[in-house]
Amino acid sequence: MKLSRSPPRAPAETIVALIDVVFFLLVFFMLVGRMDATAPFDVVPPVAGMGAPLPKGGETVALSPDGRLALNGTEMTREAILTELADRSATIVRVQSDGASPLGRLLPLLAALETLEGASVVLIVTPEAP
Amino acid sequence: MRLARGQRQGAVIPMTPLVDVMLILLVFFMVTSTYLDLDMIPAGGPSDEAAAAAPAAAGRSATMLIRLDAGDRVVWRGQAMTPAALGPLIRDTVAARPALRLLILPSPRASTQTLVAVLEAVERAGAAEARVLRVEEEP
Repeated sequence: MKLSRSPPRAPAETIVALIDVVFFLLVFFMLVGRMDATAPFDVVPPVAGMGAPLPKGGETVALSPDGRLALNGTEMTREAILTELADRSATIVRVQSDGASPLGRLLPLLAALETLEGASVVLIVTPEAP
Repeated sequence: MRLARGQRQGAVIPMTPLVDVMLILLVFFMVTSTYLDLDMIPAGGPSDEAAAAAPAAAGRSATMLIRLDAGDRVVWRGQAMTPAALGPLIRDTVAARPALRLLILPSPRASTQTLVAVLEAVERAGAAEARVLRVEEEP
């Protein structure tokens, strides 16, 4: 009598290693990703080689080349932005102006933001390529 | 005769939904994350008040004007040039007059990039003080 051997079972693939890798990637992207609100229009900040590290937190005011304004990703008028920032008692106001924005729009905006009590106004720049 | 029942096995926790959720979260963070490396230039605020008071205490010093025209050219001592060419000229002037005070008068039509480039040239030249004069808003 000939005994038939059962076919060898394929080794079970371990899913634990996959979960580990996915979990590490997840934590990595959660830590390094920035969840800042983006402007509702394209803004390319000016390039500068002397910028200091951008402080975390604060409110972001975006200015497009054609003069449109946005606060934390929502398009608003200048008066509405100033009222909102005064209500929030913002300590850091980050101005994200396009490099092509005329100074006739940027400088009056900076002057208006400077009148906010206790607020530090900073201009966002892109660091120069090394 | 008494039959011994086998011990009940614990419920198997399925791992597949966990992996699904984690993959979805992973893709979400990969897609929404931005890696813009941004810097900043102080543009005013409480820290500027002390700086504004300092030159008044230091007494009178020479003041020179840098003009930015509507064509994004820099005018220094009557000569139009690019912001890059301005740096060495300011450096020489500052070396001769360390207390030099620079005033930057921009055209309302000059671009933000030009102003930032001029501020950078002034900063690198080591000028004691530089101020940007306010311009009227464009209609």
